[in-house]
Amino acid sequence: MRHTWIVASALATAVAPTAQVAFAVEYMDVAGAQRSAYPEATAFEPYTVSAEARADIARDAGRFVGVPQVWRVRSGERLLGWFIVDEVIGKVERITYSVALDPSGAITRLDVLAYRESHGDAIKLPAWRMQFKGKRSSDPVRLDADIRNISGSTLSCRHVTEGVHRLLLLYDRVLAHA
Amino acid sequence: MSSIFPLHQLPRSRTIARLTPIVVAVAATLAAPIARADEAALKAEIAELRAQVEQMKAQIRELATQSRPAAAPTTGAQSAAPSTPVAATPAATPPAASASQSADLAARVERLEQSANAQAEEQSATSLFGYGEITYSRPRNDASQTQADLARAVLGWSHRFDARTRMAAELEVEHAVASSDDKGEVEIEQFYAERQFGDTVGGRAGLFIIPIGLLNEHHEPTQYYGVFRNAVETSIIPTTWREGGFAVYGRTELGLEWNVGLTTGFNLAKWDATSGEGRDSPLGSIHQELSQASARNLSQYVSLAYVGLPGWTFGGTYFTGKAGQGTPDFAAPDARVTLWEAHARWQPGPFDIAALYARGTISDTEALNLTFVGLPTPVPERFYGGYVQAAWRGAWQYKDYSLTPFTRVEWVNTAAAYAPVPEGLGVAPSPTERIWTIGADLYVTPGIVFKTDYQRFRNDSSRDAFQVGFGLNF
Repeated sequence: MRHTWIVASALATAVAPTAQVAFAVEYMDVAGAQRSAYPEATAFEPYTVSAEARADIARDAGRFVGVPQVWRVRSGERLLGWFIVDEVIGKVERITYSVALDPSGAITRLDVLAYRESHGDAIKLPAWRMQFKGKRSSDPVRLDADIRNISGSTLSCRHVTEGVHRLLLLYDRVLAHA
Repeated sequence: MSSIFPLHQLPRSRTIARLTPIVVAVAATLAAPIARADEAALKAEIAELRAQVEQMKAQIRELATQSRPAAAPTTGAQSAAPSTPVAATPAATPPAASASQSADLAARVERLEQSANAQAEEQSATSLFGYGEITYSRPRNDASQTQADLARAVLGWSHRFDARTRMAAELEVEHAVASSDDKGEVEIEQFYAERQFGDTVGGRAGLFIIPIGLLNEHHEPTQYYGVFRNAVETSIIPTTWREGGFAVYGRTELGLEWNVGLTTGFNLAKWDATSGEGRDSPLGSIHQELSQASARNLSQYVSLAYVGLPGWTFGGTYFTGKAGQGTPDFAAPDARVTLWEAHARWQPGPFDIAALYARGTISDTEALNLTFVGLPTPVPERFYGGYVQAAWRGAWQYKDYSLTPFTRVEWVNTAAAYAPVPEGLGVAPSPTERIWTIGADLYVTPGIVFKTDYQRFRNDSSRDAFQVGFGLNF
């Protein structure tokens, strides 16, 4: 075939750089995400969010897909912040992600722990996740406002952004007073 | 942690006596069959049970401390717990009965949670999704051609075989009714399986959509502006364009997406020079959609996109393949179809600005077009189109409602040139049509949209039309 070279050369150019970074976009377990977010932590204390609190947040920011898992993070007696694992729906499948907050409620890190669809997973890119760093409940945290979209991953971008907005409300209304 | 059982204020025997009914109640709850299908409610219940078990453990530890000889001062009753969520701090000699009950409860909560998670996984392994749209079009100069149409209704399903392997399919009905007396069609739009080989590399096999342009893979009505899909990605890129074959795709951490495939291609022997179909969409008239597709000649494509800068997208695709398909006595056995496109999109805040250019060629058609002399639609050698579009998302918002005005200018030529034929026997190339569209999309929710627009054609003003549409996507 006259154009077989196209596939061959494309494979060569495409796979070569990827081979260097394959598996670099981490799918982490919860313990791994905790260690990455708070390397100096000595304790992750589970904290249960009541159904009433979730319902209260849902009235303003939409329902949680599941029950967010929350940990209070300490290094000795010092509070390092809060670590939360939550889920949202991408298009049809769940996206599991984690958010790390500092003691003042500002996001220090967002990780995608599990993504189950092939389309839309560009949210795993560090450049997109970095947009959330420093956001707190007083920020809009809204797609196309202070969070930029990735064309082709709109549903994932929108739903994770909405999820983070809910978690910041959770901090504001519950965790900040716990 | 606040205590709901102020055990430290009670004598030990009374404490255990008060604790026991709670233990029994929790155990009874756990023993009850899990009849609820509501995953969220189940998880909530588990979380609350978990909290109760934690509180019980804390109180048992506290009780144990009280019962210990006074010589051992506590080093902070709530000293930092280990880093596991339910790490059982080995308290000194807790009351045996309560401790074992507590441990048993904790184990049962664990098992219940695992069971709920497995149930949730099982329930969500198969998913349904879909989209559809209804259109109304009223030509400016000929109201008798006004038409309303349920243009398409699509039901899709996907199934996850394991964490890295899934399938997806879409069944589409176009124009509401498909029968021998109607123009509607029933078609399988996608039917493929895919597997993630690594975290950044995957593969796909089956009938799948070619990754080209901004619309082909994202063709649901909530994802584009205007009642109808734009002309370039309908006439030049035959959205929704799919082929059967294999593809490998991936993304680097810097945001460079790549996708290469070996697929079925076009069949030029299907060209009908007597109809206008080839002039509406050259490739749309000869695509095969994996319906008993002639597959003597396979095609290849390469698609690249850069999405590493939030708000920006740059991409392009090159597709090529021979289209003679080994048809006996066919006048264009070596004809090759090539289509390429490049696009860019910028989404700063609420604005959405996009540009796309697509160009196609069909080679070696001289002899074939000689057999079409006198017919209105010979095979074009070259066709192309491009557009520039701007939208203001959420220019007006009220509660869940969001209005997005937009405008788009397109240039389309489906027969820009023909292969040379003897003078006087050929057909003149078409002029480039310019289409200007202005309109607004009203989103009731992100999944439901009402649309209206007005389209004006520079060359063929009989196609000027006012249009209204409704679409949904879930």
